[in-house]
Amino acid sequence: MIKHNIKLALRSFMRHKSSFFINLIGLSTGLACALLILLWARDEMKMDKLFALDDRIFQVMEHQDYSDGILTTKSTPGPLSSALVEEIPEIEYAITIIDPGKYNLRVDKKSIRASGVYVGKDYFKIFDLPLINGNSDQILSADNNIAISESLAKSLFGTADQAIGQAIEFEGVDLYTINGIFEDLPDNFSQNFDFLLPYEPYYQENIAWLSNWGSNSPHTMVLLAQGANEDLVNEKIGDFIKKRVENSQVTLFLKKYSDLHLYGNYRNGKQAGGRIEYVRLFSLIAIFILFIACINFMNLSTARASRRAKEVGVKKTIGARQQSLIYQFLSESILLTLVSLIIALSLVQLTLPQFNLLTNKQIALDFSTDLVLIFLGISIITGLIAGSYPALYLSSINPINVLKGTMKSSLGELWVRKGLVVFQFTISFILIAAVLIVFKQIQYIQNQQIGYDKDQLVYFNRDGRLQNQIEAFFTQAKELEGVQNISSIAHNLVGQQNNTRSVEWEGKDPTLDLLFENVRVNYDLLETIGIDLKEGRAFSREYGTDSSAILLNETAVSIIGMTEPVGQRIKIFGEEREIIGVIKDFQFQSARQEIKPLFFQLVPHYSWLMMASLEKGKESVGLKNLETLYESFNPGFAFDYSFVDEQYAKQYVAEQRVGVLSRYFAGIAIIISCLGLFGLAIFTAERRKKEIGIRKVLGATIQNILTLLTKDFIGIVLFAILVGLPIAYILSKNWLNRFVFKIDLDIGYFGLAALLMLIIAILTIGSQALQAARMAPKEYLRNE
Amino acid sequence: MIHLKNIARYYKRGFQKSWVLKDISLDINEGEFVTIMGPSGAGKTTLLNIIGMLDQADGGEYTFMHEPVHRFNERRRNELHKHHIGFVFQAYHLIDDLTVYENIETPLLYRGIKGKDRKSMVAEVLDRFNIVAKKDLFPEQLSGGQQQLVGIARAIVGRPKLLLADEPTGNLHTQQGIEIMDLFKQLHADGMTIIQVTHSEENAKYGERIVRLLDGFVRQDESSAKEEKSVS
Ligand SMILES: Nc1ncnc2c1ncn2[C@@H]1O[C@H](COP(=O)(O)OP(=O)(O)O)[C@@H](O)[C@H]1O
Ligand SMILES: [Mg+2]
Repeated sequence: MIKHNIKLALRSFMRHKSSFFINLIGLSTGLACALLILLWARDEMKMDKLFALDDRIFQVMEHQDYSDGILTTKSTPGPLSSALVEEIPEIEYAITIIDPGKYNLRVDKKSIRASGVYVGKDYFKIFDLPLINGNSDQILSADNNIAISESLAKSLFGTADQAIGQAIEFEGVDLYTINGIFEDLPDNFSQNFDFLLPYEPYYQENIAWLSNWGSNSPHTMVLLAQGANEDLVNEKIGDFIKKRVENSQVTLFLKKYSDLHLYGNYRNGKQAGGRIEYVRLFSLIAIFILFIACINFMNLSTARASRRAKEVGVKKTIGARQQSLIYQFLSESILLTLVSLIIALSLVQLTLPQFNLLTNKQIALDFSTDLVLIFLGISIITGLIAGSYPALYLSSINPINVLKGTMKSSLGELWVRKGLVVFQFTISFILIAAVLIVFKQIQYIQNQQIGYDKDQLVYFNRDGRLQNQIEAFFTQAKELEGVQNISSIAHNLVGQQNNTRSVEWEGKDPTLDLLFENVRVNYDLLETIGIDLKEGRAFSREYGTDSSAILLNETAVSIIGMTEPVGQRIKIFGEEREIIGVIKDFQFQSARQEIKPLFFQLVPHYSWLMMASLEKGKESVGLKNLETLYESFNPGFAFDYSFVDEQYAKQYVAEQRVGVLSRYFAGIAIIISCLGLFGLAIFTAERRKKEIGIRKVLGATIQNILTLLTKDFIGIVLFAILVGLPIAYILSKNWLNRFVFKIDLDIGYFGLAALLMLIIAILTIGSQALQAARMAPKEYLRNE
Repeated sequence: MIHLKNIARYYKRGFQKSWVLKDISLDINEGEFVTIMGPSGAGKTTLLNIIGMLDQADGGEYTFMHEPVHRFNERRRNELHKHHIGFVFQAYHLIDDLTVYENIETPLLYRGIKGKDRKSMVAEVLDRFNIVAKKDLFPEQLSGGQQQLVGIARAIVGRPKLLLADEPTGNLHTQQGIEIMDLFKQLHADGMTIIQVTHSEENAKYGERIVRLLDGFVRQDESSAKEEKSVS
């Protein structure tokens, strides 16, 4: 019987080639999309879940309670980890991790810039990364120990085998001894480094700020003891900081480390999504695209049912029961989806490199048993859904009616078919509208005037001899061709990087508790980056007293409530400062946030980044000259620079990815929908051949016939737009709400989306209709 | 074998019931060759469908081989029908996507007959009807007469007790029609019970009994073989 069914299925495919190919193309691209999204979602779900002790690894996080809401952060005080291990018995290990930095490493003549992280010595007891050499009890236990990755070992020593015990020169000064080599980090680990250094000596060196319980910077991670209760530990550590810092508004809590990747966002102290939202969004899109392909199958199978109806009628007269017919039609659709699966897998294989590039992943198509089962499962379910309606419809046909030739499409059946097409085009419309709006918003935030000239700005580390001879470097750099100006700054001005609550002024509301961004700069910084002064003056070498001066941004001035700020005094970290100027507000975070209060203070020795503005049109000359100058100061150091505008754009990586991906998915959805429409158009033209012939004989023009053939379809598409409009509006509004700076949700976007879709739909059905309308009447009537 | 008592059947036409069969009582014995005649729209096809269990009466009793069909559910009706009844249609109704061989084989598939037995049963019928050479052709490659031959082969391959034929020669030329009727005669001679519907008095002569329908009643039931006439 299975053979019989397969044979019939194949012959039916061959008989209706256009339907067959439409279904095959639709189902295989639909499946390919679904498989790509599945692979991606699986990859996302696997992120950071690679450690044996996954259940017990937690990140210690802070809720900081301010007047304008709760800020949730991973930054914690430097002494936290050792205090936690000492005082909380449920915490077996706790380590501090300092954000990764790029450092210069040298072995003999070979120097490499690599990414390194300071971590607590128990790092490998929590994160059991596979070691090639060394043992996890001793790694990083001495102050001069360093652990490096296999590929770093290879690039420094040529081989990983002989690297253990060797010495490495770090930043041109310290010597470290390699006592651990770990395998290169797996793709599903969100931490990123080439080597690790012990935190404890780093702590001693920076004890001034790291021992301060009131300042937050490094991350703290803990391993709970076996059987320890997370809630209980949360209770114990909640007030840990408040007990140590007067007036502290910080509450500590644990977050499972491997949950952070997907559920990492907090809004006002509450967990509020994270990357899981994108996993859900794309899974939903995958399901919709598959369903759109299923609808094509449903519609084309039932529209062309007359031939199959006869088969059903005959079979019923020779003893087939409905059940066995349902089974037959379902096996037909499943057969089709299995063939589509094979094509889909080749499509996936073909597009994976590009997809990986778009999503910044290293996904490979592997055929592990579970994945193969999932693939088959998805295909079979798709086949069942696609085949369900046709199977029920065809198998319930009454043989007496078919055999008499009196079978007509019932009204209900026509409505189902129309409803399904409406669904397809509603989804397509929503996707097109979403693509337009996401595109516009990204364009908007990237071209937004942010208050300084980020496009020409390049920055690099102030390392080696630059630390002490910065003035000489400035003087020489300013002479260089292509370099407009140069200064130095504590951080790159993208995102919140350093802030403080201890800003005091006369008449400050004692309950007001706000964070001020603290930017430590050198002379000429304002001139270099091109921030405008609203009033007053910038820091200048002509005044000897500028180390006790301060510049505020407009937001800070309005929060403080000063009408004539210049010349007034405020206290920062308890020290009195004179306001010498007010700078215009500029965007130092992303368009997602309001502009926050900020001050600039002149602290040349804390400005660790060199920031230079290049001359427009001479950027590469300027860069080359800077490099030569840098290397003359720091022979053997690699010149490693970044552009501010690129860093700024990186804040929108997620949005950009969504933008590009949704463009592809929308394209595929509309193509599959149009394929279905095309199939229906062919079918309608065929079915109404005789009617068209008679009408033409009676004097109908080509236009009349075109209208006749297209008006139903256009009606359906218009209806779909009507249904999709409010949904698209609400979804876009929701998405835009993530941004403080955003485009207005103009009805024009939806109008454009509607117009685009109508044009595509008309092009799709128009050619078929035109062909039918042009045919000579005798062609139609010949068959009768 | 067939016992119909007060069979009635109506179709809804708007809000009105339109009675196609009003009161049909009929007994047909095993081995009989019965012809049902009557003007177009008299309800011949409707009656045949009821006998063939494709349709159900709205009133009356139907006993088939001592089984009360009117009391059965769909499943049991389907079983009876599948094992004992073969259908031949005016428009042949072969399955277009199957070859001659596969068309004939299909009823055996639904009866769950094993592959080997199926093969020999189909081969036997092909041989008997002289269509072995055509077995791999598709219906559209055959003439009408040949298609009807396949239709009959398909109807009888499962060795049913009862063969129902609704105007089997209606679409055929005279010569082809004669061949088909000869075939029926042969099947009848082998012991098959046959009920045919026809408009042709010539074809009716092949049978041994003629039932004439009019206005939903049996107008006349005559056994030509015994030269008896009875009017009901
Ligand atoms: N499914 C149906 N719905 C409504 N009327 C029907 C249906 N099938 C048959 N009829 C009506 O029943 C009457 C008898 O039909 P039928 O049994 O096919 O007649 P015959 O085969 O004798 O020509 C006709 O008037 C026909 O219109
Ligand atoms: Mg009839």
